[in-house]
Amino acid sequence: MLFERHRARLRRWGRQFRGRQKTCPCAIDQCFSLDQLPQGSSAIIICNRNLKTIERGLYVGSRLSMFRNDSGEPNIIVAAGDARYVLDRRIAREIRVKVME
Amino acid sequence: MRDKPIIALAGNPNVGKTSLFNALTGARQTVGNWPGVTVEHKSGIFSLHNRHFEVIDLPGIYSLSGGTPDELVARDYILNEKPDLIINIADASNLERNLYLTVQLMELGAPMLLCLSMTDIARDNGIEIDAEHLGSHLGFPVLPLVLNRRLESEQLFELIGNLVDKPQLPASIHYDEVVENHLEKIWQRLVKTKGLGWEASGLADSDKAGHSYNLLIQSRWQAIKLIEGDPYLSGQLQPSDKQQVEKEIAAIAKHRGQEPAAVIADDRFGFIRGLVKDVVKRKKPGNWTFSDAVDKIVLNGIAGLPIFFAVMYLVFLFAVKASEPFIGIIDAVLNWLLVDQLGLGLASLGLPHWLRFMLSDALGGGIATIGTFIPPIFFIYISLSVLEDSGYMARAAFIADKFMRRIGLPGKAFIPLLVGFGCTVPAIMATRTLESPRDRVFASVLTPFVSCGAKLPVYTFLGMLFFPRKADLLIFGLYFFGIVMAMLTGFMLKKTIFRSDPGNFVMELPPYHKPTLNGIMLHTWHRLKDFVLRAGKTILLVIILINVLQIIKLPWGTNGENTPVLELGGKLITPVLQPMGVDKDNWPASVALISGLFAKEAIVGTLQSLYGAEETRGRGVEESRSQDGAYDNSLKQAFGSSASAIAFLIFVLLYSPCAAALTMLFKEHGTKWMLFAFGYLTALAWMVATLVYQVLAFSAGSLYWIATILVFFVLIYINLRNIGRKHAL
Repeated sequence: MLFERHRARLRRWGRQFRGRQKTCPCAIDQCFSLDQLPQGSSAIIICNRNLKTIERGLYVGSRLSMFRNDSGEPNIIVAAGDARYVLDRRIAREIRVKVME
Repeated sequence: MRDKPIIALAGNPNVGKTSLFNALTGARQTVGNWPGVTVEHKSGIFSLHNRHFEVIDLPGIYSLSGGTPDELVARDYILNEKPDLIINIADASNLERNLYLTVQLMELGAPMLLCLSMTDIARDNGIEIDAEHLGSHLGFPVLPLVLNRRLESEQLFELIGNLVDKPQLPASIHYDEVVENHLEKIWQRLVKTKGLGWEASGLADSDKAGHSYNLLIQSRWQAIKLIEGDPYLSGQLQPSDKQQVEKEIAAIAKHRGQEPAAVIADDRFGFIRGLVKDVVKRKKPGNWTFSDAVDKIVLNGIAGLPIFFAVMYLVFLFAVKASEPFIGIIDAVLNWLLVDQLGLGLASLGLPHWLRFMLSDALGGGIATIGTFIPPIFFIYISLSVLEDSGYMARAAFIADKFMRRIGLPGKAFIPLLVGFGCTVPAIMATRTLESPRDRVFASVLTPFVSCGAKLPVYTFLGMLFFPRKADLLIFGLYFFGIVMAMLTGFMLKKTIFRSDPGNFVMELPPYHKPTLNGIMLHTWHRLKDFVLRAGKTILLVIILINVLQIIKLPWGTNGENTPVLELGGKLITPVLQPMGVDKDNWPASVALISGLFAKEAIVGTLQSLYGAEETRGRGVEESRSQDGAYDNSLKQAFGSSASAIAFLIFVLLYSPCAAALTMLFKEHGTKWMLFAFGYLTALAWMVATLVYQVLAFSAGSLYWIATILVFFVLIYINLRNIGRKHAL
């Protein structure tokens, strides 16, 4: 028999899984996170769960090019269409891309 | 229909909304080539055939999600005021991204007109847009414009008049079939149960049944926002509806394997992609542009930072060197007119000595002094305007990001700090473009460290007096020292009260523009006018107050003689400032610092007024006027050494921001942060100025003061850390 406080604790513990990100439907060797895309390469976005960047045109299926990616810097610069965005690496890690040949 | 129909200008940041606003209303609002020029809506009147329209310039937004305060300002305005026409301005050179907001506005059912801006840049990039065809898809007219040149207004005016009278219903967007099914269920439930309480949400308006703002479209929009997880609308749902709505949303997420908000965004872009494919033709493949070529150098890992410092140094060098020839001319003309001629004129009228002194020497002299600061301020504002209009500001934010991270702020926070070179008040307002509340407060606390235009007269005045040959270096050094102190403070605050990580940094790099002469002059004129008006008013008030306080005397002097109240007050504060080199006889310096709390420009006026009075008292008006630089000599003697002048300047640089900036801090972040800024900055200014003075004028007693200051620093750090443990942001 669980007390009410134990039930509440259990609920709180369970809540942490509610918002957990679903895995991207792409094989690990086929795509990687945007922050690993080498400078000068072009790629297609396979997964993006960051609404802020989706609203700026980095939606699934859109094509982008890496304008600048220096591992020592906290940001990258990508070209999406005619726009150039400075993206935080933390956000870039949330975006999975597939390199275009 | 309203007597004065409302036209709202909406669009992405930096697409030319303010340019169109100025063109329509004849207003002279500041425009710039960086995101966040407009952070609150501005209104103006546009007249057409004796009919008046209220035009509202909304802040630039990417969507109606309401993630940042400027997005909320724009969204709330559209929802609550229900404008009669929304002119959506979209950048033709980046149509796909811009149409995302257009689609959201269409979902609101708002009567719309789409203006394509920057069509010249699009043409240069080989982009051709069939505007008529685009309009037929969207359900409302599309008009191509070039907003940074003279507007071809007739067609636009005609369209505005027609659309306000006969609004056209925008086309509706269709989502994936499964999404549409669930959307329909949510929508039907909301309509059936009045789930969102139409009155409470402010969306129902039965008087305007014929208007495109009808209930059905609005409720569909609400259903979409619920799927997107809008916190405001979700919070308003009845508990019974909430469960049902959550079930439908979960079904959408399961079907697409995506977050529901991403599903909606993806489908909107699907619609947009189809549109763009149909109406846009590219003559050249979208490759690297001129801006990209410049950025290869400007943002280079090795060259970027030196270029950034060189640009900033050139700004100050240009301001000092270009203004030199004008300072002498303005000084001579204004002194001749406002001091000499006015003094003689007043003497011929037989006015009493004290009134003549107040009007010609104090007030006229004060205005002449401020007049000499107009050239450097004018040139510094011109330089900043060129930087802003060219698009370099956003690049500077990228370069500064490395340092900004170290102090716990995202690089985007560098833009408000740069705006602070003009004035702290708009700089605090510009922090609204930052997404996280923590970043907004943190950046606002650091903005006063950046020397605003009002501090420049103080630096120039004392710099020219004490270091006539190296004044430009001293001024640049003070600006630089302010930035260093901001970084040190930021570093300390990051370790104590702002312990969490800075918000994510997403910023658009606008293409470089050739700044237009009109834009630069307008920008500069706005700032210069503010400076002259504020400085003029403050100096007038401060000089009147100072003279009144000098006339009122109390028998509280050292030997019981009558002493002016101002002198008594100044002498009361001076002992506190003595460790930083303000001698007890230099009490006018203490009074000047108090007057600087109202506005920093008042410091110079106060010093001149008080030392002018001292000189006049000692020699008589005519004699003191005849001796060129007599005021300057007495000022030099009062400060005693260049060490005390440097310490005084450092105190001016760091101490509490002016009353207007404190009010803005209160408005944006509340009493707690306003008091923190006032107390922390004033204490820091005293400590740093004392430390600098004691090191520069080292004596036996200096060690005591240096040790005391270091202990103070440690105590402040421990105190802030303790506060941070309980209330860290």
